[in-house]
This record gives sequence, C-alpha cells and structure tokens, in this order.
Amino acid sequence: MTKGVLGRQIVKNLLVFLVAMFILSFAVFFIASYAPGDPLQSFYGERVEQMSAEEHEAARHRLGLDGPVYVQYGHWLANAATGDFGLSFKYKEPAIDVIQAFIGNTLLLGGVSYLLVFLLATVLALCCAMYEGTKIDRAIAHVGTILYYLPGFWIGLVLLLIFNVNLGWLPGSGAYSPGHAGDILDRLEHIILPVIVMIIGHLWYYTYMIRNKLVEEARQDYVLLAKTKGLTRMQVAVRHCLKNTAPTIVSIMAISVNHILGGTYVVEAVFSYPGLGKLAIDSAKYHDYNLLMLIVLLTGAFIIFSGLLAQTINAWIDPRLKVKGGGTSWTIRQLFGR
Amino acid sequence: MDDTSAFRPVGKRAVEAVPVKHRRQPGAHGIPVISCLLLAIIVLGCVFAPVLANHDPTMFYLDHLNKAPDSAFYFGTDSLGRDIYSIIWYGGRISLTVGVLSMAIATAIGLLYGCISGMGTDTMDNVMMRTAELISSIPSILLMLLLLAILDSPSVVTLSIVIGVTQWMNLARMTRTEIRQIRSSDYILAARAMGATFPHILRHHLLPNVLSPLLFMIISLIGTAMTTEATLSFLGIGLPVEIVSWGTMLSLSSRALLTNSWWIICIPGFFLVATLTAITRVGHALRHHAVRSASNL
Repeated sequence: MTKGVLGRQIVKNLLVFLVAMFILSFAVFFIASYAPGDPLQSFYGERVEQMSAEEHEAARHRLGLDGPVYVQYGHWLANAATGDFGLSFKYKEPAIDVIQAFIGNTLLLGGVSYLLVFLLATVLALCCAMYEGTKIDRAIAHVGTILYYLPGFWIGLVLLLIFNVNLGWLPGSGAYSPGHAGDILDRLEHIILPVIVMIIGHLWYYTYMIRNKLVEEARQDYVLLAKTKGLTRMQVAVRHCLKNTAPTIVSIMAISVNHILGGTYVVEAVFSYPGLGKLAIDSAKYHDYNLLMLIVLLTGAFIIFSGLLAQTINAWIDPRLKVKGGGTSWTIRQLFGR
Repeated sequence: MDDTSAFRPVGKRAVEAVPVKHRRQPGAHGIPVISCLLLAIIVLGCVFAPVLANHDPTMFYLDHLNKAPDSAFYFGTDSLGRDIYSIIWYGGRISLTVGVLSMAIATAIGLLYGCISGMGTDTMDNVMMRTAELISSIPSILLMLLLLAILDSPSVVTLSIVIGVTQWMNLARMTRTEIRQIRSSDYILAARAMGATFPHILRHHLLPNVLSPLLFMIISLIGTAMTTEATLSFLGIGLPVEIVSWGTMLSLSSRALLTNSWWIICIPGFFLVATLTAITRVGHALRHHAVRSASNL
C-alpha cells in the first residue's frame, strides 16, 4: 500500500514537474522575445552594423532568432531535448558550458549556508523552546526579528567595510585567490563573509518556524510521561520533541531552497563571487537570454526536485504518514471502534 | 526572504493551551512609541525635504568629492559630489513611494486573487492556488530580473509594478484561507439569497472581515518592497542613478569601499534600516491588537 502510494506520488510529481518546466520555459521565452536590446548586438558587437541584409538573416538563423515566437520556441525545445540549450550571446560559448564553470561556486556557497542555517536554527529553536517565555526567548526573538529585516546586501557592505577594507582580515571578492583554485582553505576563506550574510538574513525565519513547532510539541502529553520516567528537560526536548518535529524541519528545508538560492544571488553580487547569481544578473543586464533562460530552468528544476525529495524523505522518516497514505482522515472504525 | 507567513501565531489549539503569561507574541508589546515617533520623523522629513536640505540636491559639488561629514556637509558627500544630508530626504520620498505603491499593487492583486480563489469552485481554487504556488516557487529576485530585463531603464512606477506583481502570492494564499473560513457564514448566504453580486459581497462582507488578520502582512509588504527596491537599485537593475533613492545612493557603495568612505554606505543604510524596523514594529503591534480583539477570553 505504502509503496503504491509513494510510486503514484512520484509519478504525479514528475508530471507536475514537466508541466511546470514547460510553462516556465515558455513564459521566459515569450518575455525574452519582447525584450529590448538586440541579441545580435551582444553576440557580434560592432560587426552587426557592417553586415549585409543576407548576412544578418543568416546570423539570425544561426542563433535561432528567425520566425515567429512559437516557431523559435519549438526550435529551442527540440534542441533542449537533446541537451543543446543554445549559445550564450555574451560568452560566445554554449550556455551549458558557461554555467558549468559557475555552478560549483554557487553550490559550495549555497550548500554551506544551507547546512549552517538549519543547524543553527535548530539549536536556537531548541534554546527558545526550552526557555519559552523567558528573557532568553524574547531576546533571541528581538535580535532575530531586527536581523531578519536588515537588507542582506547592506550587511554585506558593512562587513566588507569592517573586515576587508579596514581590518584587512578577510578577502572581499572572488571565489579564490589567483593561482589557488584547488586550495580548499583558500576557498573557504573567501566564503566566510558571504556565508555570514546568508546566515544573518535567513536564520531567524527558520528558527521561528521550528521554535513554534517545538513549542506546540512541548504541550503534548507524552512529554509528561517522559519526564515522569526521569528524563531531564534536555533529554525530552532532544530525544522526543525534536524527533517528532523532524518531518516539519525537512518540509521547511525544502521550502527554503528557493529563498536560500535567491539569497545567494544578492550575496554573490555584493562580494563579486563568480556564481550563478552574478551570472544571472549580468545576463539580464546584457540581454543574454539563452543563458538567463537556462539559469531560470535549472533553478526551477532544482527547487521542484528538492520538494520531491523532501516528500520522499518525510514518507520514510515519519511513520505517521504511512498509516493512511498521508491523509489525516479517520475511518468509521477508528472513530467509533474501541 | 519575502515570506512572512512564519510570523503568524502557531495553531489555534496550541495558543489555547499556552498559559496566559506566555501568550505575548515575541516582539509585540503595546503601542511602539519609539517606532511611531521615528517613522513620523522620517516621513515628515521627506515631506518637508526642501525645508531641511541645506544644499541643492541636484548639484554636483565637484571640488568636494567623497568628503567626510563636516559642518558644511552634515553627512558628507558621495563620489559624485552630492550632499548626502540633502539628498537623503529627497531619496526617502522615492523609497517610501516605491514601498507604498508596490504594497498597494501587491495588496490589490493578492486580495482579489485570494477572494476569487476562496469563493470559487474547488477546481478553480485548485488551479489558482497551484499557479500561485508555482510562481512563488521561483526565487522572486529571479522573477524580477526577468521582468526588469525587458524594461530598459525602469521608472518609479514601473519598478513598483515589477515589485508588486512578484510579491502578492503569500497574501493571496492567506486571503484565500481566511475567505474559506467565512465563506459559508450565514450572512454571506443571506446576501447571496438576496441576489447580491460577487463585487458587492466582496466589498461589503468579505474584505472588511479578512482585512484585520491580514493587516500585519500588508504593512510589512511596504518594508519588503523598500528592501527590494534598494537591493535592485544596488545591483544596478533597479532605478537609474539619476533618480535619487536610498537604494540608488547605496549603489555607489562599491566605489565607496575603494575609498573607505563609510558615510556613503552607513548613512543611507541606517535610514533604510530605521524605517524598516519601525514599519515592522508598527505592523507587529497592529497584529497583536487584532489578535487580542478577536479573542473571547
């Protein structure tokens, strides 16, 4: 029964995924086709003005820019199905190759921030829930709310001003020092400030969500039982409450993927970190639509995939979901039986 | 980042179980006097900008580039030679306008969308909510990037529209939840039985009833929109530098980092942060008030 439900869920999700990607790509394509700025200009630069009409036509054809929008989209879709996402107009390379050079940096920055945000959020939430209603709880709430509403790019600037310009402790731009591409310590040194900005911007939001769930959990009767058994407050909170909150945390982690990704965009721009976000902003500035589109699609795919993954993980760690295929409705026997 | 739904109180059952002394929401205590005062000072300062400014905001004082704060230039000058003290008030006008305008647009779309989805048939509701979910699953910065890519240099109005149309999804979802709760109430049934049309019910029954729980979210949308404006302008895809706003003032900060001019970064940032914090506190207080007045205890 559970296997069937899970299988059907995955098939359904895959269908949703495909439909979503289709709509997304069409929307981006449509918007891009009405955008100002001549992609030919960004591809050939000055040479466009010296081209004859035939050369112009040929160049358009080569870049897949001739015919009405839906024909162009058809071309693009047919090519995309074979893994060819067109040329980046700015870099004059296949868009997918350009992205490959940048995606690793973003994954490192995003991944480290993601893990640290949730590790710290869980610890802080536990701290809040243990001392609920006391000064500690309220102090964390106050500081957290203020930090949450600070604009991320501004925190980045202030940190750069302090730690890079004035103290000179940490590097302020790039993903690694010249000539140290393989040096993991050097790379980590470069992501310290970006990661701090990411943590400050995202930590409180998730702490608050997890805290609320833990607080709710702490009102359950089993907590009393566990305490009567002789467990300490800490043991009850970690072994029982936190364990029961795990599915919620996983769900929140799945929802948070797009926020964290969106956060890396801004942070990368502040710290001139060569990642997907900087690439996306540059490609929007230079009307490099093939590249922008691929970034949007990749981001969308990544987000939908993480949602799917979270559902699967939850079905696996939370036995409560297996009982009724995820539903909470009771059968008549459950309601009236003994 | 733009999702404020986490700041709702936890489930109803849990709230009831909480002992009375624990029932205060973190960060919400009575009327926030300091925040109201701060907000009033900033708004009035922006309204009376010509009175407060002691230099011409459109003037480039080219022999005073990057000057630290002194008695002539209270907040110093930026790398274009503009007097920061004078342009901060003019910039505030633009920032606040974008904030309020985007909030109005997002609220209008969100409320209407949520009401239609909440009152509609199940299929309609499903389709509309899935669509909203799909849009909100894309990072909003990416959406705005796409929309801004097709506008060559956005004006205050177009930027507000771009921000507004990318921020309404959460509000729509919450409106829909609220509407679902009251849609089968007797008074709505009675209104329908008397032949009231959807616009009439919307105006006289639905909106007045859902507005107060959503007030916090609507107010915090102003703050979100102001942050977004600043971020986009800083990234160089929002307002052009000629239009003075707190965001475009901060867009000069990468140059300021090279010359170590802290005042170019800190002063507009401080104004932005002060406004955001004050708005949020006021919103929290309003929500707290709404929650208290809805309770029968």
